[in-house]
Formats: sequence, C-alpha cells, structure tokens
Amino acid sequence: MSDGELNETTLRLERLIPSPPEILFALWTEPAQLLRWWAPDGYEASVELLETRPGGRWRTTLRKSDGSMLATSGVYRVVEPPRHLVFTWAWEDQSGARGHETEVVVSFEPTPGGTRLVLVQRRFESKQARDNHTIGWSASFDRLADIAG
Amino acid sequence: MTTARVAQLDSLFAALADPTRRAIIERLLATGELSVGDVAAPFAISGPAITRHLQVLERAGLIERRIERQWRFVRVRADALVPVESWVSRQRRHWTEALDRLEALAAAQTPRRKKS
Repeated sequence: MSDGELNETTLRLERLIPSPPEILFALWTEPAQLLRWWAPDGYEASVELLETRPGGRWRTTLRKSDGSMLATSGVYRVVEPPRHLVFTWAWEDQSGARGHETEVVVSFEPTPGGTRLVLVQRRFESKQARDNHTIGWSASFDRLADIAG
Repeated sequence: MTTARVAQLDSLFAALADPTRRAIIERLLATGELSVGDVAAPFAISGPAITRHLQVLERAGLIERRIERQWRFVRVRADALVPVESWVSRQRRHWTEALDRLEALAAAQTPRRKKS
C-alpha cells in the first residue's frame, strides 16, 4: 500500500484498462469526451474551460435535476500526451468560493494489454507543504484516526 | 458542499499543512494533555509564536483547552479528524465511480483485437 511518500495524506487509485493510453488521454483532455464520463449518476456535466496545456485553466460544473450545482476547477501543471496529466483540483461551494486545493496526478503507462492508469490526489498541494513532508506525519495520522475512532 | 463545511475543511487542512503544528499535534497525541508551557518546550520558537500556532489548531477544531487554576492545558479533540476522513472517503468514491465510467467508454472506443 504505502511506498515512500504514499501514506494517509495521499489518495491513490490504480486500474489496468484494456485500452491504449491515447484513447484514455483523449477521454481526459477533449471536452466532448470528458463530458461523457465526468458526471456521476443523476448529474449533468458541463465544461466551461479545458485549456489542456501547462498553466491552462479548467472548470467543470455538475448540475442536478433539482437545479443544484457543484463546480470543480483548477490549473494544469503538466500535460504530456498521452502519458501524464497533472492539475490542481478544488470543489467550489454554492457561492463560488473555492475549497481546499489539492493536486491530481494521472499517469497512463502502456502495458502489453492496454494501460495502467494511476490516479494520485495529494491533499496538501502547496510546494512548501510537500517539501516539509515529515516522516512522522503518516504515523500521527494513524494515531489521530485511532482517537477519532 | 455547504460554505461552512468548505471553510471548516480549509482551516483544518491549513492547520495541518504546517510542520510545527503537525509536531505539536504529534506530541499531544503521544502525551495526551500538556500545559501550554510544556507544548512550547521542545521548540526553538517564541512563546507568542507557539500561542499563535495553538490558536490556529484550536480554531480548526483540532485541539481544545482546559484551564485549571493558573494553568492552561491543551489536548487533541477526540473527533478532530472526522471531517478529513469523510473528505477522503468522499473523494475516493468520486474517483472510483468516475474511473468506472471512463473504463466503460474506453472499452467501447477500443477496437477489438483480431485473433491471428
């Protein structure tokens, strides 16, 4: 589970997908493609911005049938077709205020049968926070979790 | 998410992103409860700086204070991490479901391999 910096502060999902990286990368970076899978059941997605280049912005909105909306937005940091995508991520509340910003790293590694997709979301996205990442942090989180029961 | 919950998470994450404050939390977790003076002891920073850190941790809901005669004590709150954990599980569920949909679409767009 935890290799190196991967610990309780990091969310990591890995999938082996029987499709080539090019197809998956396009699903992430082309608006029409993204719209087809971005929204959870019961929501409709729209893409306001998808500037897939380093420094480019992105913003999507999820609309429920009752009219409520949920937006997410961020900035692309790395765009390397078809292998690597790094962007910042934050939910926005109803008033449009951005919540805590995290960093999402998606890598598309070719395998004999398709692609190994790895998605990592780091909770402390600031460079300073990353640089200061201490070894004891993971352990302290474990203890906090124990206490929190 | 409601504005209040976003603000709560923000202050929680901001509080935990600082290494000194993480060290304070770790110490409190290891010892249970400490006087404010004991909290400051291992750190080479001023008393007012420690006080500021404790204020941030308290506002974020991570610690609570107790005053007994002239002594002030601090300890980690029992439910301190619940909002962080629910954020993580919610986010994990979000991505898991999204990747399920992505995978189904990718399969539909991928030419089947011909048997040779």
